[in-house]
Amino acid sequence: MISLTSYAFVSMMLFSIGVIGVIARRNIFVIYMSIEMMLNGINLFLVTFARYHFNMDPQIITIMVISIAAAEAAIFLSVIILLYRSRKSLDTDIFTTLTQGEKS
Amino acid sequence: MADFIFIALAFLAISGAIAMIVYANPMYSALGVLITMLSVAGMFALLNATFLFLVQIIVYAGAIMTLILFILMFLNIKEEDLPKEPNKYKLIAIGAIIMIPLNILILKAVSKLPEKDLNISNTDFGQIKPVGLELYNNWIIAFELISILLLIALIGSVVLAKKRKSKLNNKGEQL
Repeated sequence: MISLTSYAFVSMMLFSIGVIGVIARRNIFVIYMSIEMMLNGINLFLVTFARYHFNMDPQIITIMVISIAAAEAAIFLSVIILLYRSRKSLDTDIFTTLTQGEKS
Repeated sequence: MADFIFIALAFLAISGAIAMIVYANPMYSALGVLITMLSVAGMFALLNATFLFLVQIIVYAGAIMTLILFILMFLNIKEEDLPKEPNKYKLIAIGAIIMIPLNILILKAVSKLPEKDLNISNTDFGQIKPVGLELYNNWIIAFELISILLLIALIGSVVLAKKRKSKLNNKGEQL
């Protein structure tokens, strides 16, 4: 029988790998995919507890999260296209126009 | 039977996620994320969430990841344009050290909960009709707000991707 802890282990692994990807990588596409990975881990956690308590509300919240992720994808990818056109790079260390320090 | 399916799906999900942070080429990373999303969809099916299984495959694997792959191929990124990441593995190790205490805390808390049967049940829990009734009865305001949000995202992406006539950079000269 599959226990609750094994589902929690998989979803926490996905969430942690998403956080590690945001910390460790500099490619902006990989950072975006890490954010999606964190959302997926939390979705799995919510659906696990929906089954555990036999309650439908977490599944509705998961639908909301998925639709917000779809809206986020449209905005994020158009911003990536604009940044790549103006800077010709995918490195997040170059996108520093909003910082207060010296200009790069 | 369900145990073997769960173990295979968990293995695929975690290995796809590890492939995402290890590969330098974003195309391979996107394929790893695609494997992870499909395995998570399989876990939704094991957890009796039939409608979410469909939504995960259609929206995540079908729309969002296809959009990312399309943009990656559209930008035509060369190998030398990729950012240099000399101390990637050091940062991954630091991130793992940061995340391990949180994982231990949550897994200890979850393992203290009373055991319940999580197998596939024969009721209509999680199918389209009950989920739709719940969504349109108790969550109607959130549903309407989500539709407005999607409309705003549509308008925003069209405005952002539109070609501007003339643009000045921060030194005052024309780009």
